Amino acid sequence: MKRSAFFFSVLLLLATGMHGLSAAAETAKTPEWFFHDIVDMEFVKQHVDVPMPENVMLIDARPTRSKYNKGHIPMAVNIPYTEFDKHVDKLPKDKTALLIFYCEGPQCKLSHKSARKAEALGYTNVKVFAGGFPRWMEEPGHYAAVPGAFVKKHMDKKSDMVLIDSRPKRSKYDKGHIPGAVSIPDMDFEKMLDQLPRDKETLLVFYCGGFKCRLSHKSAQKAMALGYKNVVVYAAGYPDWKSTYGDMDVADVGDKKSSTTLKAGKEEGSIDPATFERLVKENPERLHIVDVRDADEFAKGSLKTAVNIPVDKLEARIKELPPDKPVVFVCGTGARSGESYYMVKDLRPELKDVFYVEAEMTFAKDGSFKIVKAD
Amino acid sequence: MFKLHQKPWIFFFTLFLAFLFIGSAVAIEPGNKRKGKYTYRKVYKACFERGAVESPKPSINPDAHTQAEWTEIFTQKDFDAFGCADEWAALPEEDVRDIYAYLHGHASDSPTPAKCK
Repeated sequence: MKRSAFFFSVLLLLATGMHGLSAAAETAKTPEWFFHDIVDMEFVKQHVDVPMPENVMLIDARPTRSKYNKGHIPMAVNIPYTEFDKHVDKLPKDKTALLIFYCEGPQCKLSHKSARKAEALGYTNVKVFAGGFPRWMEEPGHYAAVPGAFVKKHMDKKSDMVLIDSRPKRSKYDKGHIPGAVSIPDMDFEKMLDQLPRDKETLLVFYCGGFKCRLSHKSAQKAMALGYKNVVVYAAGYPDWKSTYGDMDVADVGDKKSSTTLKAGKEEGSIDPATFERLVKENPERLHIVDVRDADEFAKGSLKTAVNIPVDKLEARIKELPPDKPVVFVCGTGARSGESYYMVKDLRPELKDVFYVEAEMTFAKDGSFKIVKAD
Repeated sequence: MFKLHQKPWIFFFTLFLAFLFIGSAVAIEPGNKRKGKYTYRKVYKACFERGAVESPKPSINPDAHTQAEWTEIFTQKDFDAFGCADEWAALPEEDVRDIYAYLHGHASDSPTPAKCK
């Protein structure tokens, strides 16, 4: 009896394993939802170059914030599938251009669906790299590219990152560079290895003069050959940084004008309630206060200087938010104001001084208010 | 002696049960409920824009379930009832945890049950 129970267990395990194997075999077949023109890594490698050849576009169909911004195939343009229709203008005008879509691997449908949309628009040379970003990263020596937002985020978090300017020192770096970057010109890379960190796990971010510049890519390959495991390239490079963040010292972004006064609250994006109360009392014009409750609620009472943009209408009116003044969202509980905060972070990420009141608030007709309790 | 003979099959049987259930029984950690509310609505907006649903507003409100039910749904990753399967499939784990925090935080038996207003 005991022996039969043992064999029964083994049989069940084997059966489970067989089921797994047959399932794997099934997935090896081309799924019905696959786009009709699939290409492999070799094809992508042939067509991706720095700078990108004319009439070729590599398109990352994954979501921006959660995927593309964390790393993508170098030279890829991001057109998330869910926003494809909004960003059709990013596609080449020439309908015969080669478009290669990819997303998060063979199980991901986004690139296939985007490819179909492109074909429906009249593009005649559309392919899907079904292996996608995971397949790209499997190849030895391959690295990811990242956008400026990635670099900025790691700066703000004070991550253990080494930012490396691969351009010539005198003619480029000395005339302007990303704050905190060290100069290791690609031509002097081998002579300056002592500038690299000893820990091969350290995040190395290489950049140079933008999408047409190969120097950062060449240095990144050299660093990987030396055994560095966490190497990325900020391919848009210094021109992108300068246009996005200016020449200011990054440590001061958002600090000089406001954050020293606008003390943050406990939750991400929230303003310290006491600071908010004081500012509204002493200098309300200093803030652009947006009450995101419905119009009927707003009519019953709100802050004297608040404007009403109900959260349901905020996306359509998001351009009304000023870039030169701290924006603070308020509502009754923090739910709608919190939602508004994240909407701005998503849709107008260039606005740095945005906050919400994470607390229950009551408003009176005369413009007075009470912060009842912090959540 | 009896126990010694009994051990191997108990071990394999336990291993088998572990294979079966371990993946689905791990409880989900709640994320950021404020961000979750935005993400939840964004999912349906995207779904609406591609014509898969009638309204850009989510069809299931937080107060449609108790906290225990939301925990069960998200632990089992049983998202069929939400519709918009493509958008749900594309959500990174962090966003799923944020949505869970929002729905769980405003469940029917929570201190602040909510419609998706």
